[in-house]
Amino acid sequence: MLRTEINELLTQTGPGTPMGELFRRYWQPVLLAEELPENDCPPVRVKVLSERLIAIRDSEGRYGLMDEFCAHRGVSLWFGRNEEGGLRCPYHGWKYDYTGQAVEVPSEPETSNFCANVKLKSYPLVKLGDVLWAYLGDPEKQPPLPEWEFITVPEGQAYTSKRLQECNWLQALEGGIDSSHVTFLHSGNLDSDPLFKGSKGNAYNRADLKPFFEVVDHEGGLLIGARRNAEEGHYYWRVTPWVLPNFTMVPPRSDHPVHGHFWVPIDDENCWAWSFDYHPTRRLTETEVAAMRAGMGVHSANDENYRPLAHKDNDYLMDREAQRRGETYSGIKGIALQDSSLQESMGPIVDRTKERLVATDAGIIKARQKLRKAALALAEEGVEPVGNRAQDQKVRSVAIVLPADQPFVEGIGEAMIAKPGVPQTTV
Amino acid sequence: MTQSGLVSSCARAATAEEAAFRIDYPLAAARNTRVVALDAAAEEIVRRVSQTQWAQARFYSTVDPGHSLLTMSGETVPLAGELEDSNTLVLVSTNGQNAEAAATIGAACKVRGIMTAGLVVTPGQLTSQALFALRPHARILLVPAEEDDLFELLRATRS
Repeated sequence: MLRTEINELLTQTGPGTPMGELFRRYWQPVLLAEELPENDCPPVRVKVLSERLIAIRDSEGRYGLMDEFCAHRGVSLWFGRNEEGGLRCPYHGWKYDYTGQAVEVPSEPETSNFCANVKLKSYPLVKLGDVLWAYLGDPEKQPPLPEWEFITVPEGQAYTSKRLQECNWLQALEGGIDSSHVTFLHSGNLDSDPLFKGSKGNAYNRADLKPFFEVVDHEGGLLIGARRNAEEGHYYWRVTPWVLPNFTMVPPRSDHPVHGHFWVPIDDENCWAWSFDYHPTRRLTETEVAAMRAGMGVHSANDENYRPLAHKDNDYLMDREAQRRGETYSGIKGIALQDSSLQESMGPIVDRTKERLVATDAGIIKARQKLRKAALALAEEGVEPVGNRAQDQKVRSVAIVLPADQPFVEGIGEAMIAKPGVPQTTV
Repeated sequence: MTQSGLVSSCARAATAEEAAFRIDYPLAAARNTRVVALDAAAEEIVRRVSQTQWAQARFYSTVDPGHSLLTMSGETVPLAGELEDSNTLVLVSTNGQNAEAAATIGAACKVRGIMTAGLVVTPGQLTSQALFALRPHARILLVPAEEDDLFELLRATRS
């Protein structure tokens, strides 16, 4: 359980909140690059960390992210005309460049310097991989650009998607840290999902339903190791990294692409679940990409607004017959929706004063503790949080069989460090 | 659609408004947690944590080889008796001492179906004798743990 004030501290990410300020120390994924596909394309509304923004790609291909509303009368610039080097409000013609600087105010005399004094609040927006990343914090504290492996592998080796999740970001993140739910919720998918099946690790999963856990403090966050019995004298380890504040990876299976997530707050009651797949040493096959686009693996089939086709308004297309047949454990199709359906069912912001955690939830307990400490250290003492250094981000999940007497942090060695051209360590 | 149908739909049931109708009652009795320090430094940590008001948690150090425990007031009590109504046991180690006691306690917990957790309080060290001592007996280990982690674990599990 958490006290009410700690729950509020961790779940509120708007401007001026401790957790909101913590998030504003990191580059966050805010749009898929496909959402701004070409120069002068239509602007896109972006809501992130409880701020309403508008994103553009101008005539020269420069990306901009600024206050959604015109400085003049507060009109949404989503109605604007993105042309000739800027975004023009259709109401009275005020025009802004990609930095939010007003460059034309037609009602003013041609020689007026009025526009120089009008600037919408704006944030840097950069394309790395298939993702547009934004930094919403103090410009003087801006960290280096992100170096997550999935955005640094050669073209064709990664696939990224996003889906709307209608609950607070922390509920979604905690699902990414909680390795123990896989044994139940996703058990129906290990042998059927094309991006999971065929792994020897799946047999270990099935044979040992009561894994042991080791939660290891790590420079960028935590490593959560789940160990199951393997051959005599050996354990099968699945190691999940969490990097502050909202990055997790799923341990790999066989030679399937490696996957992971970002959980990005839209506001306090909604978040974007970002899901990526990549292979460190080869291009993704057409079959793999087709499966990802179809919503297999950690992805979901979505509508044009990135809301999953199975959502709470249609009861997630609950299929009790598939549940009875054992095709799905919860009756919901697909790993992503299996998670989000349950996390959304907890309510927009779950009341953690009423939960009943057990010792095997120690990963969640420790993650909350680290988030709370990081947010308060930043707010009260100006201590910069971890997670922004290249070594924090060049991290991999690992699946490995080790001798029973070997600690997993020792056994995995450098397998958890992302190195270009080096394959993932997997079973 | 009937009223019961509305409540059964996920769209309606998952709203903040509906959350307000969750029944408010104690979910279960507090967890009966036993916390056992395996060495002198661990005992200092456990003693400090024990001074907080807890629901039903009890705190001990070990008397080798673990068939008895020493309460924080210095009374020797049999392990079996202290485990009688327990459902969680937390072992705390800083240096791997009393591995035999850890094994005895771990085995006793296993027989009784008591969840075991271990805190390896070795600042800055990812592998240590303490880790090896606790590993076979703890279903979940925190490595390296801090004193705070014991507080958090006990609070979070309503001990």
